[in-house]
Amino acid sequence: MINNPSHPKKGHLKTKECKFTKAGIEYIDYKDTETLMKFINDQGKILPRRVTGNSARHQRQLSTAVKRARFMALIPYVTENLR
Amino acid sequence: MTERTMTVSNNGIQPKKTYRMKKEFYEMLYILNPVLDDDKFKELVDFVNKQIESNDGEVVDVDEWGTKPLAYDIDKKSSGYYVNIFFNAPHSAIEKVERNMRINDDIMRYLTLKYDAKMERHYDLKKKGDLPVIFEETEEETEDDN
Repeated sequence: MINNPSHPKKGHLKTKECKFTKAGIEYIDYKDTETLMKFINDQGKILPRRVTGNSARHQRQLSTAVKRARFMALIPYVTENLR
Repeated sequence: MTERTMTVSNNGIQPKKTYRMKKEFYEMLYILNPVLDDDKFKELVDFVNKQIESNDGEVVDVDEWGTKPLAYDIDKKSSGYYVNIFFNAPHSAIEKVERNMRINDDIMRYLTLKYDAKMERHYDLKKKGDLPVIFEETEEETEDDN
């Protein structure tokens, strides 16, 4: 499919790229909650790599950053799901 | 055997001296009880700084964020007074400082991180204010489209 330019699904494929790599970030700061909030869902879970397209290195850094921020009560462990 | 032990102890002493003097760069974020008044906050910040200085450390920067709402309740409190400090200290100082902070009931939580080269570079960039932007551009564009 990838090599076939006339494949019908070809147009829907998005090439994901890691935003941290693109910006040239070396260290993800746990105090930067605005950035971290973009990588967790409304329940407070960390989004998977297949969704965000992060590189493995940055996903690892991100997960520790999120966990540190949670410990310091900067971002929630869980948010209540309204039903 | 005696010779061996002698050399080992000699080797052990010399690097120990340099090791003891070696200081690392640390960052610490701690949350104070928000019920207290401003004088008490100052007192507590001074208390922590003194703890570091009395253990051969030197405080580089103190950044008080002020009272912020917490993401979840800690000790039945929904807000906290955040203080972020940066300091140089030998590694042995950390456990002593943290022990005193743990005993103090008005310090609700603390987190100490040792900085490695990457984090120090990040810190320098942040100080200068040219941190690389991760999101801003793309987001503004999408907002404009809507």
